[in-house]
Amino acid sequence: MRRRTLLRWIASLGSAIRLTSLRAWAQTASFPGDQTPALGALAAIVLPSELGLEGIRAVARNFERWVREYRPGAEMDHGYGFTRLRNKPVSPAPAYLRQLEALVPALTSGDAASSRRAVEAALEEAKITDLPRSPDGRHIGADLMAFYFRGSDANDLCYRAAIGRDRCRSLAGSDNPPPELPKQELQK
Amino acid sequence: MTTHECDVCIIGGGISSAMLAQKLAELRPGISITVIESGKKLFDFENRIEYRRRSIDYAENPWPGDFIEDQAAKGVISRTMAVGGSALHWGGTCNRFSEEDLRLKSMYGLYTDWPIDWKELEEFYCEAERRLGVSGEPSPLPEDWRSEPYPMPAMVMTHNLKELKQWGEKSGIPFWTTPQAKNTRPYDGRNQCIRCNTCTICPTGARYSPDFTFKRLLAQKNFALHDQTLIRKLILDDGKTTMAAAQAVNRARPDEPIEYRAPVFVLASGYCWSPHLLLLSRNSRFPDGLANRSGMVGRYMCGHAFLSAMIEIDAKIYPGMNEQHGLISRQFFRCKTDQPFIRHDLRIWESASGHEPRLRSADGRILLGDSLLADWRERAKRGTARVRGYYDVHPDRDSSLTLDVTSRNRWGDPLPSIAHKPDAATESRQQFTRQHFQQLFQTLAKANNGKMLSTGAGNYWDHPAGGCRMGADPSTSVCDSFGQTHDHENLFVVGSPTLPNAGCTNGTLTFVALTLRSADRIATHFRSPA
Repeated sequence: MRRRTLLRWIASLGSAIRLTSLRAWAQTASFPGDQTPALGALAAIVLPSELGLEGIRAVARNFERWVREYRPGAEMDHGYGFTRLRNKPVSPAPAYLRQLEALVPALTSGDAASSRRAVEAALEEAKITDLPRSPDGRHIGADLMAFYFRGSDANDLCYRAAIGRDRCRSLAGSDNPPPELPKQELQK
Repeated sequence: MTTHECDVCIIGGGISSAMLAQKLAELRPGISITVIESGKKLFDFENRIEYRRRSIDYAENPWPGDFIEDQAAKGVISRTMAVGGSALHWGGTCNRFSEEDLRLKSMYGLYTDWPIDWKELEEFYCEAERRLGVSGEPSPLPEDWRSEPYPMPAMVMTHNLKELKQWGEKSGIPFWTTPQAKNTRPYDGRNQCIRCNTCTICPTGARYSPDFTFKRLLAQKNFALHDQTLIRKLILDDGKTTMAAAQAVNRARPDEPIEYRAPVFVLASGYCWSPHLLLLSRNSRFPDGLANRSGMVGRYMCGHAFLSAMIEIDAKIYPGMNEQHGLISRQFFRCKTDQPFIRHDLRIWESASGHEPRLRSADGRILLGDSLLADWRERAKRGTARVRGYYDVHPDRDSSLTLDVTSRNRWGDPLPSIAHKPDAATESRQQFTRQHFQQLFQTLAKANNGKMLSTGAGNYWDHPAGGCRMGADPSTSVCDSFGQTHDHENLFVVGSPTLPNAGCTNGTLTFVALTLRSADRIATHFRSPA
């Protein structure tokens, strides 16, 4: 390759990388864009029906905000015992949008069973064997579940008790079992 | 070259440094104290709620910028280098050692004795507890006597801990709550704990952190804190063995070398960076490093090993009530002299292990939505106890910190490499120790229809210490019981590096107690205000 060609190629590569980054930033900032209905349909499949329609919508909205506020490159906890410096990887938004798009036909078919099978097939294809500790960008279905089920509200729902794991609470009364979740909490 | 002069130059900005500076400023209000820390000041307390949220939601570092990329050591268990040190993100556990830790040689014929009397150390434990603000309930065992009550009542025992205590005590082992540097009532200008469940990033200030002490000291006119300043070498007076200066570089202004001059220098840089600096400071008169005529700098690096188990029991545990608070038994701190030697603490915490949500059922089916929740609920009917024992291991002379010439920082200084090694007696006890714990875990599991979910052995020594061990004999130690180095009259080492052995429970309170004792001795170098 001649020097001038090489320089031109490097320059175009730089522009392509900048364009890709810009696109990823835009997709993150506006997530989920026109895929809002698909995300809602996915949430209805992977989240528990006990949350009620409004509760499921609320989790989906919180997940959207989580994606939009994601900071690629942010420092991660460097650990204790086995310690290493790591940074958050690139935004998962572009991958999520592609994955949602692939699921659209099944999610909009109106057939719950086929939607469910499509999600399961997608998770199998992505080789996801367990619920991620926190959303890791491999598949939006698993990540939406991790987002909810690893959280404090799901912990409360599982135990049907207002534990409030990630909230700051008073010491007073903690010697008793946490109070039962109010009915409306379960239905929201 | 910029030169700074002060009366006491403290190198390192962690918990020992904070406690030393605070006490010296009280004992000798007229002296000037400068603390030098290679990491940054993270004094943005107002942002900690947001850092906590980002840590929970995104697994981001709750202490952004608390490390130095090119200042790493092999074998180190935390990368934190900032004003406050590892105690920025400690859990606040404030267990005391026991007299046995100081009398291994005379009681068991093992390893070594400390050159300090237990009764005297106990006084400084009380002082450390007052200064840090420790809440706790006294041990019911008479051997654990204390001369003063805890400054604050113990943390409320949550429903979970009550269940776990009841379970643990079915095996005949007494358990009580772990003392912690967390406010159970407003204390020392800081808030009461409100159970945020994230003690490593306490957003309310209820858990003690050295930055609170430093901020208060900065309001005094004789105190200076120079962060982002790396001390690279200690320099002796010409023809004398006394310390003259510390040569440094500011990380933000690397082209301006700095020199600190003081009549007294104190190394408070922890178990890793204190011996490292002494080794780096070698010269023609001390070719093996300063304070190292004995060859003991970087030797006898210590810590304690640990074994743990997850045990499923018939108890209603609600994971997340207060995960950082646990139970302790000190029953095994003592060991009969006619029995095989084993000493350890025994701890229990609430846990969700084994009962967490999962994506696949036992037969491999993918679980979504309702089926995932149903599976989770079914498994969550039983509770889990996290059990751990830190056990007493004694370091070999070759348990060492050395300079690794293959790994250097941006200034070209070789970085430390730590390799722990147990002594021969400890090695010979390994099998017995493991059998003892297996039996103990099984005994515990038998109660409440328990089922052992998993057992594990730590692959590092926790709560590390050593590298500048204290002793009465200058040929086998680096410093005396006050941290004064045998070789240099005006050079002290305080805190974790001075420990000959690391006991069998968390070490921070002991590091602080020893440092407060050193402060009394360091103060005698200056005229009393009276």
